[in-house]
Amino acid sequence: MNEEKPSPSSDFQGLIKPPSFLGLRVDRQSLIKHFFTGSAAVTILTLFLIMYSLLKEGTGFIPTYQFELKVYRQAGLEFCDFIQKPLTENTALLSKLNRAVNADTATLTQKAQVRRDALFLAKGRVEEKTARLREAVTEAVETANTPPEKLAQARQALNEANAKAVGEEAFPDVYSAEERRQIASDLGTLQPDAAEPPAIIKTLSAEFAEQDRIAKEKYAGFLEAVEAFEEATEPIVELHDGIAELAKSTKEAAVQQHMAEDAKAQLLAAAESAKTPEAKANFQKEADATSLEAIDYKGKIEPIVAKLPEYEAMVPTYVAAIKAAMEKVPQKGETKESTALINEVRKQLPKHLTHAEESPALMKAWQWDKPIPMVQALTAFLFGGDWITNSSWQDFYGVVPLLTGSLLIAVIALVIALPLSVGAAIYTNQFASPREQELIKPFIEFIQAIPSVVLGFIGISVVGDLIKETSNVAWLQWIPGFPVQERLNMFNAGLLLALMAIPTMFSLAEDAIQNVPRAFSEASEALGATKLQTVFRVIFPASLSGVFAAMLLGLGRIIGETMVVLLVAGNRIAIPDFSDGIGTVFQPAHTLTGIIAQELGEVSKGSSHWQALFMVGILLFTISLLINFVSRKVVKRFQLPKI
Amino acid sequence: MSSSSASTAAASSATTQPLLKINEVDFAYGARQTLFGVNMGIAQREVTAFIGPSGCGKSTLLRCINRINDMIEGARITKGNITLGNVDINHPDLDVIALRRKVGMVFQKYNPFPRSIFENVAYGLEVAGMKNKKLIAETVERSLRSATLWEEVKDRLHESALGLSGGQQQRLCIARTLSVRPEVVLMDEPCAALDPIATAKIEELIHQLKKDYTIVIVTHNMEQAVRVSDKTAFFYLGKLIEFNNTMTLFSTPENEQTERYLSGRMG
Ligand SMILES: Nc1ncnc2c1ncn2[C@@H]1O[C@H](COP(=O)(O)OP(=O)(O)OP(=O)(O)O)[C@@H](O)[C@H]1O
Ligand SMILES: [Mg+2]
Repeated sequence: MNEEKPSPSSDFQGLIKPPSFLGLRVDRQSLIKHFFTGSAAVTILTLFLIMYSLLKEGTGFIPTYQFELKVYRQAGLEFCDFIQKPLTENTALLSKLNRAVNADTATLTQKAQVRRDALFLAKGRVEEKTARLREAVTEAVETANTPPEKLAQARQALNEANAKAVGEEAFPDVYSAEERRQIASDLGTLQPDAAEPPAIIKTLSAEFAEQDRIAKEKYAGFLEAVEAFEEATEPIVELHDGIAELAKSTKEAAVQQHMAEDAKAQLLAAAESAKTPEAKANFQKEADATSLEAIDYKGKIEPIVAKLPEYEAMVPTYVAAIKAAMEKVPQKGETKESTALINEVRKQLPKHLTHAEESPALMKAWQWDKPIPMVQALTAFLFGGDWITNSSWQDFYGVVPLLTGSLLIAVIALVIALPLSVGAAIYTNQFASPREQELIKPFIEFIQAIPSVVLGFIGISVVGDLIKETSNVAWLQWIPGFPVQERLNMFNAGLLLALMAIPTMFSLAEDAIQNVPRAFSEASEALGATKLQTVFRVIFPASLSGVFAAMLLGLGRIIGETMVVLLVAGNRIAIPDFSDGIGTVFQPAHTLTGIIAQELGEVSKGSSHWQALFMVGILLFTISLLINFVSRKVVKRFQLPKI
Repeated sequence: MSSSSASTAAASSATTQPLLKINEVDFAYGARQTLFGVNMGIAQREVTAFIGPSGCGKSTLLRCINRINDMIEGARITKGNITLGNVDINHPDLDVIALRRKVGMVFQKYNPFPRSIFENVAYGLEVAGMKNKKLIAETVERSLRSATLWEEVKDRLHESALGLSGGQQQRLCIARTLSVRPEVVLMDEPCAALDPIATAKIEELIHQLKKDYTIVIVTHNMEQAVRVSDKTAFFYLGKLIEFNNTMTLFSTPENEQTERYLSGRMG
């Protein structure tokens, strides 16, 4: 022991901090701490600002939309739409019947048409190639005193050029040898001043006309039926158009009045805050001048509603006419296509007729002055099946078509991306040699570097055609939805989104598998399990929560992605027709993100459309938050023991 | 082949041929050699303890016996061989899966799968392809009884194994190992993560298991080695220094290094 033990005070002095500089207690620890608290605060603040601005713009939507729906009802547009609905259905059915009848007549006319059209095309090309020489001949003919030998020379040169051009033509294999010869000689002697078209053209045109006549005769019944189907709507259309006109003028008046009200309110506010008495008086005068004639909705709706008995009388006639027309439609078409279309029409017809028959009752129950509560504006947004904008009739902001599009595309992308990324993660982590790992990981992560616009290009230029061509392959016709009508569709978008989500999902799934304690695989192998058994019975199940979180974060990325869906999904705003089963995925759709990107730049700020798009933004934000929340919960809930 | 180069008295008490023979084994992790000419025989139905300072290669040797070291890239025996009942366990045609069913292993840190108690014990049977539900249930019960865990868990067989106490989890791991009826049970510091009471239970269990199994146990606890083992092997820097009856080795160590280690002056 040291005798000269230092006094306690000197030993422990260092515990007290030295006096601070200018009384500011700045030490490194707290500085760093404050820096990080600060950045966290900025992040949270930004988040709140985003939410605030979204909500501020979005919530205005509810009263605006409520007003629009109120006008829609009071002006009688809603009433007219009861009639419009069966009419729209009729149009859809009619177009199917038209396609069917065209498919059938084409069986007779197609060959003649091809023969005629190919010749016309060839003639056009020959004339184009010899255009200069043709002009020379025309000029020679029109100039009064051209020496005959010069004209003959010009004609000779033209004929030579003609013959050469004809020789270059590759004719489809629809002509006989004799016809070929005639074509060669007729087209080879084309002169601009010929009085008659070449004989062969006349022959082939006549052939087509004859075939067309035969087809029309053969399918006369069918054609008549289709015509009758169309004509059945005529009186209804007329009635509808008449009252729709009235309703629309009322609506326009209401909108005018609403705008005037706004203007007046603004003027009054300006008068309130005006600095000089003169200005105040001016504003006041202007405000007073703005007339606010109350609209006589009741008076205006009367002539519209008065048409109801007339319409009601029309309905049975219409139904009978449609039924009679359908009697004349053949049971089975000549071609597979027409049979399919006819069957579709037959299947949908009963529903259409019931809609038509029920419409008068609905219209009777309808009241022009039934109030529209605030909630209805919200439910009409959340559950409305129509997203119609810039319509001359009525705008609807129903988000369902966009939501189903987004969700369906997300599901497609997930179904593709999940097995691929999880499979790749399992392989890379468990079976690949270190060299393979070094190759695979950067490669998959590289996908992330592809800008989504570029992926969109690929979707339009490569994937779309690939899907369409594959869908026409004969032995693949058993796949639902084949052959595909549209190149740009949900499947195409889903495929590309899957590609975009794979890097995220792969990395996270690989981490999850990597995080499974080595002790588990050792225990499993020590019990005599094979590598495969170990991977699929122990490692993969133990990593499931992580894999699930990976899936959810991938989903978040997919739902939020804009560019690819905007370019590739086909942008048809309609609820997909699920009657196609799995084939539904080959239909085009529009999405929540796509609609914002596409429309926000074009609408006027503050309009109902603008607000509706912000509501869509709020919906997206909510979905993303939900996904994040759930994934956090899952990861927390299924944490593995630390070994 | 003789097993008496480093282990002077190893064969003295063994009347029969040793079950496991480790013949002049060199072992390397990649380029790094960790075992040097280890030579010993492990008799059937006895408890053999491996002791020695950290990093001397006890676990490495243990993990050679069921070839779990195969999972480590580049780890291999570079010289010599290990035979189990006269079969070379590194023979190219050897069925590793079958070997691991004969040679079970219990790890230092208890590691039940994140599944139910029942599923943990049944796992070894399922991967071996056993389908008969009744037989599986019977085997699970027998294994849990052997591991003296049955009474404690019989009412919660289908609850998660991770809800058990540490000592229970380690006994569950032992039951899991016993379920496939191995010949040899390798234990790498099985009590290192346990408190004295749980440790006592495991030691008691080892005593019981000795009747049916050949046990090799790695331990840092000298008292434990004395309490549970019949033979003890002392390793130092990858070499087997001394191998003898436990009583003899602890009371009269022949080698000076052993003596220094036992008296706490080394390691
Ligand atoms: N996976 C590995 N790769 C490379 N070297 C390893 C590996 N595992 C162990 N080693 C090395 O081999 C040597 C022996 O390790 P081993 O684990 O067998 O020692 P041990 O005697 O069990 O030690 P402890 O008592 O600390 O468990 C050590 O030097 C260690 O660093
Ligand atoms: Mg060890």
